[in-house]
Parts: sequence; C-alpha cells; structure tokens
Amino acid sequence: MAAASIATSSLQVSCSTIAAESKLLPRRGFCLFAPGKSISLPPTLATSSLGSIIGMQRHPNLQISIYIDVKIHGSARKNFWVKNSATAAEISSSKQQNVPSFGPDDFVFDLAEKLEELDYVSALSATGKEALSHLREHSAETTLSLQWPTNKVEAYRFTDLRFLRNSNVEPVRQCPQDTGIELADFGIRSNADIHLVFADGVISSSSSNWKDGVFVGSIAALSDDHIEEFVIKKLGKSAEWINTDFFASLNGIGVRELGVVIVPEGVKMQSPLHIIYHSSEGGSKDGEKQSYALSCPRLLVLVGKEAEVTIIEEFVGEKGEFYWSNAVGEFFIEEHGRICHNYVQNQAREAVHIKQTCVAQKQCSSYELVEAAIGSKLNRHNIHIQQLGPDTSTKMSSFLLAGQRQLQDLHSRLILSHPRGFARQLHKCIVMHSSGHGVFDGNVKVNRYAQQTDAGQLSRSLLLAPRATVSVKPNLQIIADDVKCSHGAAISDLEEEQIFYFQARGIDPQTARSTLVFSFGAEILQQFKNKNLQQRAEKTVMEFLQSEGAIKTSIQEA
Amino acid sequence: MDAMVCLRAASAYSSPRLALKSPTATSILHASKRPAFLCIRNVAAIEIGQEMSSRNDSPKVLLKVEGLTAVVAGTDTEILRGMNLTIREGEVHAIMGKNGSGKSTFSKVLVGHPDYEVTGGTAVFKGEDLFEKEPEERSHAGLFMSFQSPVEVPGVSNMDFLRMSCNARRAAQGLPELGPLEFYGFLSPKLSALNMSPTFLDRNVNEGFSGGEKKRNEILQLAVLEADLAILDEIDSGLDVDALRDVANAVNGLRKSTNAVLMITHYQRLLDYIKPTFVHIMEKGQIVKTGDALLAKQLEAGGYEALSAGS
Ligand SMILES: Nc1ncnc2c1ncn2[C@@H]1O[C@H](COP(=O)(O)OP(=O)(O)OP(=O)(O)O)[C@@H](O)[C@H]1O
Ligand SMILES: [Mg+2]
Repeated sequence: MAAASIATSSLQVSCSTIAAESKLLPRRGFCLFAPGKSISLPPTLATSSLGSIIGMQRHPNLQISIYIDVKIHGSARKNFWVKNSATAAEISSSKQQNVPSFGPDDFVFDLAEKLEELDYVSALSATGKEALSHLREHSAETTLSLQWPTNKVEAYRFTDLRFLRNSNVEPVRQCPQDTGIELADFGIRSNADIHLVFADGVISSSSSNWKDGVFVGSIAALSDDHIEEFVIKKLGKSAEWINTDFFASLNGIGVRELGVVIVPEGVKMQSPLHIIYHSSEGGSKDGEKQSYALSCPRLLVLVGKEAEVTIIEEFVGEKGEFYWSNAVGEFFIEEHGRICHNYVQNQAREAVHIKQTCVAQKQCSSYELVEAAIGSKLNRHNIHIQQLGPDTSTKMSSFLLAGQRQLQDLHSRLILSHPRGFARQLHKCIVMHSSGHGVFDGNVKVNRYAQQTDAGQLSRSLLLAPRATVSVKPNLQIIADDVKCSHGAAISDLEEEQIFYFQARGIDPQTARSTLVFSFGAEILQQFKNKNLQQRAEKTVMEFLQSEGAIKTSIQEA
Repeated sequence: MDAMVCLRAASAYSSPRLALKSPTATSILHASKRPAFLCIRNVAAIEIGQEMSSRNDSPKVLLKVEGLTAVVAGTDTEILRGMNLTIREGEVHAIMGKNGSGKSTFSKVLVGHPDYEVTGGTAVFKGEDLFEKEPEERSHAGLFMSFQSPVEVPGVSNMDFLRMSCNARRAAQGLPELGPLEFYGFLSPKLSALNMSPTFLDRNVNEGFSGGEKKRNEILQLAVLEADLAILDEIDSGLDVDALRDVANAVNGLRKSTNAVLMITHYQRLLDYIKPTFVHIMEKGQIVKTGDALLAKQLEAGGYEALSAGS
C-alpha cells in the first residue's frame, strides 16, 4: 500500500529533523508528525522538503490521530528562547469517552441554582422570556446530568479546571449600564458603525437596531413575531452538541438576555458588525478562596440566503479583576450565505474565558473564522461546525499566545457530511514561558457521503522557553473514500533558513528572531478583515511578546 | 595549469583589448575544432596582464579566495576542495559546472551560511578577512548573494523586509534610517526597473511568489542594498524570456566600474545578456578550467564531455 509507506517514511524523517527526541505511536491507522508549511500544498501523495503531506484516496475508514505533547527542557544557546529540544510525546486514548455520571455534582448543583435565580433583563417581553426560558429549562436539565469536567475526560485532559472549582463562583447580578469603555478605542466612531456592547453578560448599548433590513441588538428590541419566527426556532438548535456540552449548558441556564443579529436574504453588509463583550465586575478574595464573577453572554446570528456579513467579536475586561466569561455564540448560515468571523480574546490576565462557537452551514455557504487568543489566565474555545449541504466552505485560522501561567486551549470539530465540501484549518500557537501551555485538538470528520471533500489541516507551534508546553492533536477522520486531505503538525523553533535569509540581507539575528516570532502570529492577524482590528491585535501581541521577553523591545512595528 | 592566475588582470577595462584578440581565438578554434584553444587564450591574457600591470592601473581586487576548503557542518563531507578565485572591480565572472559540483555551496560559504564549515584557505573581501565576519557584517561590507531558492517568510511584508535590510546597511555605514515614505521614493525606480508591480511590496516575503517573481525579488534586494559584489546563484533558472531580459537588464543597470558580479548559471542564455569577463568551470569542489565567454559557448555546444576532451 503506497500511501502507508509514504506516510510512514515522512513521519520518520520529520521526527528526526524537528523533534529529535519525540516518540510517536500510532494508535489506529496512520500517525503523522510532519512539519507543515502551507495548508494549500497539493494534496497528492507527496513529500516535500517544506512539509509532508499525505493524500489518502480510496482507503475507507481511516483514522489519523496523534497527540503530541511536547515539553521543552534544558536551556538554549545564545538566546534563551531559541533552540529547544522537544521531548517525548504521548498518545492519548483516542476514545472520546464521556464521564460516567454519578448523579448531580454539588458544586455544579449549587452553581446551577444560583444561575437559575438570575432575572431576565427588565425590558424583555413575555414572548422574549418564553424563548429564553425554554433554553434555561433545557440547559438546566442537561447541566444536572453532567459533571464538572476533569482531566479524566478526554476533552479536558490538558485543561485543568480545578482551580475554578475550588473557588467561589458568583454570577454577576447587577450589570452596569455604562461599561466605561471608549468605543473609539475599538475603532467605533459613531452610530453608523454598527455595534453591540455586552456589559457583564447583558447588552448595555448598541447602534440603532434596524438598518437596511438588518437587525442588530437585544432580543428585547425584537417584536414578538420576529422572536417567534427567528429566535424560538433557532436558539439552542445550531447543533445537538450544544445541548451536551457542560459549559454551553451552564451558559444556557445563566442567560439573561440574548444578542441577536439577523441579516435577511440577499443583504450583503459592506461594513463589519462589531460586538464587544466587556467584563467589569470581578470576584473578591474571601479568606483563602478566590471568588470569580460569572457572566453568560449569548449571541444568535442568522444569515439569510445569499446574505453576507463580517462579524467582529471582541472580549475584553477590567484589568486585575477575577471574572469568568462563559460565552456562547450560535451562527446559522442559509444557502449561499457567508460569514467572516473575526474574533479576538483579550481578557484581563486573571480572568477565565470559556467560549462556544457553534456554526450550522447550509449548502454552498461559507464560514471563515480568524481568531486571536491573547488574554486570560485560562482560555478554552470550543468550535463546532457542521456542513449541512454540498459545496460548502469552512476556514479556520487561529493564533494563540500563551505567556506566564496561561493556558490557551482550542478545541474544534468540523463535520463534513455532504459532497464537495471544502475545509482549511490553520492553528498557530506560541508558548513564551515555562508555565505557559498551549492545547489544540482539531477534529475534522469526513463522513461517508462527503465525497470529493478537500480538507487541509495544519498546526504549528513555537516554543520559546525551556519547559514551555504544547499538546496538539490535529486529527482527520475520514470515512468517505474519494477525498483530498492533507494534515500536519509541527512543533519547532524558528526556521534557521529564515534567520539566515535575514542575516544575508544585513539584519542581525536577534532582530531577525524577533521579527520572525512576531510574524509567526502576524500571519494569522493579517487575515482580519478590519484594518483597525488587525492593527490593535498586532499591537497587543507585540507588547505582550515584549513584556514576556520573547522579542526585543526596539523592533519596528509592521 | 592555473588559468586563473594568468587571467586575473583582464578586466572590464581591458575588454576592448580582449575583444580585439577574440576573433583570433575564435578563428583558431574554428580552424582546428578542438585543440589548444585555452592555451592561446591564456597567452593572450598573459600579454594583457603584463601590459596592465606595467601600466599599473589595474582595477582593485574585490575578492580573493585562495585554497578554500569547506565541509558540511558537523560532518567530514568535504564539498569545496581548494577553490581559488580573484574578482576585481568592474569584472563579471561566471561559474558553470555540473549539478552538485559545489557552486551553490561556494557562494553560501562566502556569505557565511551556517550549514557549512570552512576548513582551510582564505577569502579576503575589500581587504578584509571575510571569515572573521558574521553574515550580516558581510552584507554590510557590500557582499550580496541571491539565493537559488529563496525562503518564504509568511507574516513579514516585503516592504518591511526591504526597509529593514536597507536601514541595517545604512546604520552600518553611519547613515540615518530612511522612513517609510523616503524609502518608498528610493525603492520606486528600482521596482519599475525590474518591471515589478508595487503590489509585491504588500505581499509577504516570497510567499506564494512564482519562481520568476522570487528571482526578480532577489534582484530588487540587490538593487536596494547596492552591493559591491553580487553573487547570483542561478538567477536565470525558471525565468521566461521577458523575465530573463528584465532581470539581466536590471543587473546590467546596477553595474559600475567599482563593483563586480559573480554569476552561477547552467546556460549561455544569461551570458548573452550579461557578458562575462571570465568563465570558470567547477568540478568536485574546484575550479578546473577558466576561460572567457567562448568557454561557455563551447560548453553549450558540446557539454562537459567536450570540455574535458578539449583539455
Ligand atoms: N547541507 C548539506 N548537507 C549535505 N550535503 C550537502 C549540503 N549542501 C550541499 N551538499 C552536497 O554538496 C554537493 C554540492 O552541492 P551544491 O548545492 O553546492 O551544488 P551545485 O553545484 O550548486 O548544484 P546545482 O547545479 O544542482 O545547483 C552536492 O552533492 C550536495 O548534495
Ligand atoms: Mg546550486
């Protein structure tokens, strides 16, 4: 079997060049650890010096799964962040088992109870309340059948949530009417720039709700007819999964208001729609126990047939506050519809950020996510995307930056069940500190009827400090037999050849390294549709890299 | 015999003299098909050399490489086995040779690529020991190499890269940095000389560039750095006819009486545009033959077999 031998050989070559000491054990099917360069490489059977690709054709029931857990140890040469050796990898159990449920968990029960007591926002109509109470009831049921996720659950294997469980969690009750943020700082200059602002989980302000047939605002500003027509039919129904996820359910119980975006059929919005989630209230320290203030913002986006919109979601909060933002966004895209989703997580450094993004894509639609996760102490983003018809396109580009005592975790699941689907995922992660940790589990599932799928997935991580850790598991499950798929993961230092290129052009190696570290992330940030957002994100990333000593301070900004 | 030594005085300055001699050489070559061609050329060169040195105005030596040997770093795989080469201001040298003979390695060693380790010999550039310098210092000193396959740098715009590079050299020369606008003014004519669209500046360095676009981009960097010695490694491979003309014209446009070019190529095509003063044939890490433009023509006609038969 030609495919097998090629895949295996590229595995060995790659391991010896990139992670000299890593061990990789295939669980089932092929296992590949390949330095990837570009996800657009030709998906034929080929290995190249730039990266390794495996193409699999006509081999049903393949499962490719690797879990690479890499830790850097020992210190580096001239520049401490540069050359590191990667060590042993472990392979996870590939079963996605659920925790056995032994009845309700006290902590969860308590928390659910506190959330249930929360009032809806006062402006909500009876129909609005009905819509949200459906969600609350359903979520309450689910939550009580689930347990607080621990490291024993595969999906939380590397995400240690014990500190949160050992804290007090208090839902935010009083939501500020004024967030105190300057909209201009976010590039929002006037009401003509369509925007929506959440303050501690409820909407505090927005541009005018209706504009050119597009609705952006609170459920409270929607008529009963609209609520029945749009909200009740869709809320909590973007995927079955959303009703089984612990944190999505917790959000469902704690929801007090709903942000709604409706872009009707055929409307192509030119300017982006900007949503800011701000957290200001933090928990206090009560004796030994830290308290976290929990808010549960929720967004519902409906994009009609042939409609197009760019949505910016930004999460920010008061510096130094201990808060937990537990957000859910549901996105529905009708036939030929299109969403460009730009998402920046720049929460306060003590905050916990957990977010679910759930996307349901109909035939010929397109969804493109560009994501930057920079802030918070613990960040967990779950993405769940389903292609519900043929000729559908999905792209995800994520950049996660983990500094001191930071965990940046991305779990994504993309399900293709129809012919001629297109999927691209690029995950990039930098870990700057020995106490930082990057986690990535990216699952792309190509089901039996998803013939002629073209799927590519690539994960690249840069470890800049001794003992910095990433755990990455890009995985492609292919059941269809006529597909083009490429897949790779690389955990590396900067490329020597690139550094030399800079030197050969007169640029000293330290400046070269700094530029390359920054550009590693900039490759993703450049994809933001909005220039202002891009520049702000670049500035934040640059400052963060500098503050952690990962790059020199005098480097010229791009 | 060491042809290089005899020939080194022949320069661009003396090319009218050389041109005068050439028909003689050609006619002899045509008359007798294979034989003593090189020998005759060398005699001519010696004449010139003597004449030049007697006039005592021979151009300054830019680069002098003697007995250079190098291995793949960390191994004892020797790739360069005693390279000798002298390049003077105003000259154009071409190195030809079979795949794997060490041409790229030679150029990379000169610019300080970390994959190789110099094990013997010397290289003096503008009177200074090249091997004492870091790669970036060699660039600041005016040495440039265009890469045979330049690496892509995602996330760094071409414009930023060019400006960083330009300002690094200016800083080394004690000149003030150029701001973005000034730099654009400086860059613009160079861009149009290469028939390159300004959109290349916004793109990331070499990312998604076609083979030909990468080569143009290398020459753009050369133009920005205004190097004294440009080593061009297979600048012609993968170029279409128009691109080759653009690139060659740009290189010719950058030539001055005080700088020099070292080209590595497999084809006569490039030498039709950029006329070499000397052509060297490399084999197994050494220069085994040196001649003028005719040597390349002979090679083109008969391949390396014919050349070795002729020596
Ligand atoms: N880093 C390296 N590691 C191992 N071998 C090397 C390395 N670099 C060069 N070599 C070997 O040294 C020899 C010379 O290579 P080089 O690239 O210099 O050849 P070249 O003359 O430029 O060939 P071409 O005409 O194909 O470009 C080749 O056999 C090559 O495989
Ligand atoms: Mg070569």
